[in-house]
Amino acid sequence: MELLEVKELSRNFGGINAVDSLSFEAKTGLVTGIIGPNGAGKTTVFNLITGVYKPTCGEITFDSRNCTGLRPDIIVKTGISRTFQNIRLFKRSTCLENVLTPILQRKECSIVSALVRLGSARRIEREAKEEAMSVLSAMGLSNEANRVAGTLPYGLQRKLEIARAIAASPKLLLLDEPAAGMNPEETLSLVDLISEIRRKFNLTILLIEHHMDLVMNICDHIVVMESGRLLFRGAPDEVRRNEKVIEAYLGKSANKQKA
Amino acid sequence: MFLQTLVTGLSIGGIYALMAVGYSLVFSVLSFSNFAHGAVIMLGAYMGLGLAAKLNLGLGLVLSGAIAGAGVLAVLNERLAYRALRQRRAPSLYLMISAMGCAVFLENMVYATIGAKPYPFPDKITNQVLDIVRNIISFLGLAAEHSVIEIAGITLSLLDLAAFVISLLSIYALHIFIMKTRTGIAIRAGVDDLTMCSLMGVNTNRLIAVVFFLAGAFAGLAGVYLGIKYYVQPTMGSITNKAYIAAVIGGLGSLPGAFIGGLILGVLETFVSAYISSVWRDVYTFTLLIALLIWLPNGLLGHETEEKV
Amino acid sequence: MSAYIPYITHIFMIVGINIIAVTGLSIFTGFTGLFSLGHAAFVGIGAYISGILTYYEYTNYYVALLAGMAGATVASLIIGIPTLRAKLRSDYFAIATLGFGEALRVTLDNLDITNGARGLGLEVHTTPIVLLFSLVAVLFTASNFLKSRYGAACIAIREDSIAAEMSGVNLFRTRLLSLVLSAAFCGLSGGLLAHYFSFIKPDMFMLVQSTQLLATVIAGGMGSLSGPAIVSLVFMSLPEILRWLEMWRLPAYGLLLVLIMIHRPQGLMGYRELTDFFVIFKRREKGGKN
Repeated sequence: MELLEVKELSRNFGGINAVDSLSFEAKTGLVTGIIGPNGAGKTTVFNLITGVYKPTCGEITFDSRNCTGLRPDIIVKTGISRTFQNIRLFKRSTCLENVLTPILQRKECSIVSALVRLGSARRIEREAKEEAMSVLSAMGLSNEANRVAGTLPYGLQRKLEIARAIAASPKLLLLDEPAAGMNPEETLSLVDLISEIRRKFNLTILLIEHHMDLVMNICDHIVVMESGRLLFRGAPDEVRRNEKVIEAYLGKSANKQKA
Repeated sequence: MFLQTLVTGLSIGGIYALMAVGYSLVFSVLSFSNFAHGAVIMLGAYMGLGLAAKLNLGLGLVLSGAIAGAGVLAVLNERLAYRALRQRRAPSLYLMISAMGCAVFLENMVYATIGAKPYPFPDKITNQVLDIVRNIISFLGLAAEHSVIEIAGITLSLLDLAAFVISLLSIYALHIFIMKTRTGIAIRAGVDDLTMCSLMGVNTNRLIAVVFFLAGAFAGLAGVYLGIKYYVQPTMGSITNKAYIAAVIGGLGSLPGAFIGGLILGVLETFVSAYISSVWRDVYTFTLLIALLIWLPNGLLGHETEEKV
Repeated sequence: MSAYIPYITHIFMIVGINIIAVTGLSIFTGFTGLFSLGHAAFVGIGAYISGILTYYEYTNYYVALLAGMAGATVASLIIGIPTLRAKLRSDYFAIATLGFGEALRVTLDNLDITNGARGLGLEVHTTPIVLLFSLVAVLFTASNFLKSRYGAACIAIREDSIAAEMSGVNLFRTRLLSLVLSAAFCGLSGGLLAHYFSFIKPDMFMLVQSTQLLATVIAGGMGSLSGPAIVSLVFMSLPEILRWLEMWRLPAYGLLLVLIMIHRPQGLMGYRELTDFFVIFKRREKGGKN
């Protein structure tokens, strides 16, 4: 079953189509990868799905609900959350506070009871904190809970961002280059981690990645983009064998190596 | 009545324009609202007053002294309060807060040292200005009375007329300077991209010093005019809030915009005073400012600027 | 010693009234990251509405205080809804609040009911007990607010507005709520102030005062309640103790803003509270890990 369905999606920036009538689906429970050369419009697709940009035209259906052009915070509440290519943590807050923020936003608490901090407000705070700790420990970050996020090493910052995204309790998780800047070892352990959280939190994953081994390893389905358009989509093996993909994507890098 | 109001509005607008230029010039290069500009105008007026009353100098020396003094003050202001922020690429908001701090500091230093008493410019200077304007007018074959001129039933104060003409000419001169000279071209390049400019070997610190000197020079000119027309006092900088609004109307960063914005604001204010209510004029002005920021943040002639966060 | 009691009480009064307004602005500027150059206007609205109500004997003092808060809240909605919805550049937003403050001053200067620039003479109602109670209530609700989902949303916006939205934070509503709460505190501060000094006039609530409030918050630390309160204590009480300093208070505020922007943009306390230091201190004593 399709959890996310993108139909004829386009976004125009000052006359240039960053995304050009793109269609694809992400099936429930699977990992779908989006690959393509730099500037192919991959991150723009994420920004369109999550409401950071409004599409010029096209339709996004999530969980059989039309989500086109909704505000980001509403989209999060329908069950999509994401990480960012250039990490966007709440840098001066602690790791716990980072993860706590999306959890607290899901809890109902009237402004009056928040101001006087009645028993119910305290209970909500306590529950949220427990939930946040369990997310942190799932990501192996429980020892860093009280550390200020901006002081974490790069790899842990990426993990913390994933933790925060999971804390929003999504059905669909969008990962924008989760392995960027990681060494091969770290990448490998990331692969394990992603499969683990997928099982644990029952997630469908859509990910953008340049590390080919990671993509081929982890993805059930791959969408290849070039200049905003869909080039090809299929299983990893089909993608690896497809001539168009080899030419546009791998072929280019082969040419680069020659030059 | 209508024409008279229009003419009065234009003459007030000329002064707004003269002051607005300083805001626009700095904004065009550094993308922040330099609220210390008002204090520089005020200090320019005090410098002019000092030269005129204490040293008993004539109009020419008073003007050049105030222009040079205010120019140097603006350059110093940049060196001491903005340069460090600029070099560590602080958000433009920080620069604005620092500018706000400068304004509060300078204005209240004047309170604490010179005091709040308003001083008029010596009559000698005022008469010199009037003489010059009368001579020019009679040269053009028109007749002027002591301090006003009547054309087609419209009375116009000679001081306002002079201010309008001076502001038009000096802004035009500045425009030519920026369009035609080497330094002007460097400034325009700086407007496009300061970092690129420095990579291309332009000394950006010097470039920015020139920009601040020009803004300060206009402040000195405006300060002396305000002093002659009204009084010299620490609070005279508050009229510059209006000039700032004029710069926003025209589009921050645009010189022709500052001029047109000044005229529009002057005319609008005079019409509101004449036909609606003089008491509530400023409420209309500030409401207009807020409305403009919301619906037309780039003003009439400004271009879109991205905020550095 | 007893000769000093009225003097110390006076200092407590002016510092306490100031801390209430500073806490208000702290929530908006320090924790939500939006700069305002018009918060003295909310103090002024609170002062005038409560002052008018007691001056013409419409209501008693306590109702007047609440009405002052309510008035400041309504004013914050009027300025906040259009400007926050438009998502202005942060410096343009600050300028819009400046314009709002100036427009209010002109209004106060020209209304009959406010007695124009001559000001209103009022009775003294704000006793140390009333102030103490208000101060405790403000600090209690402010710190509760910051611990709640709303406070977490404010801090998230200050840190990164896009990531905040992707954590389920409604930008407009959170910013507006932060503005409304901060205006309510400032309005309360105004009502207390009016009935302590027993005299109000429009130029007590101008750009200079807004800048003072902002300087206090920035100097105290953006993201701290205790830092700005400490700065407020120093800046309000020093000129009272050393009279000759009074004249230099405003130049010092100006200079302080510039120096802080250049040398210590995080302010005195940065993003910490006094209580954080006690915690660290305790841990050290116990010989814990940290």
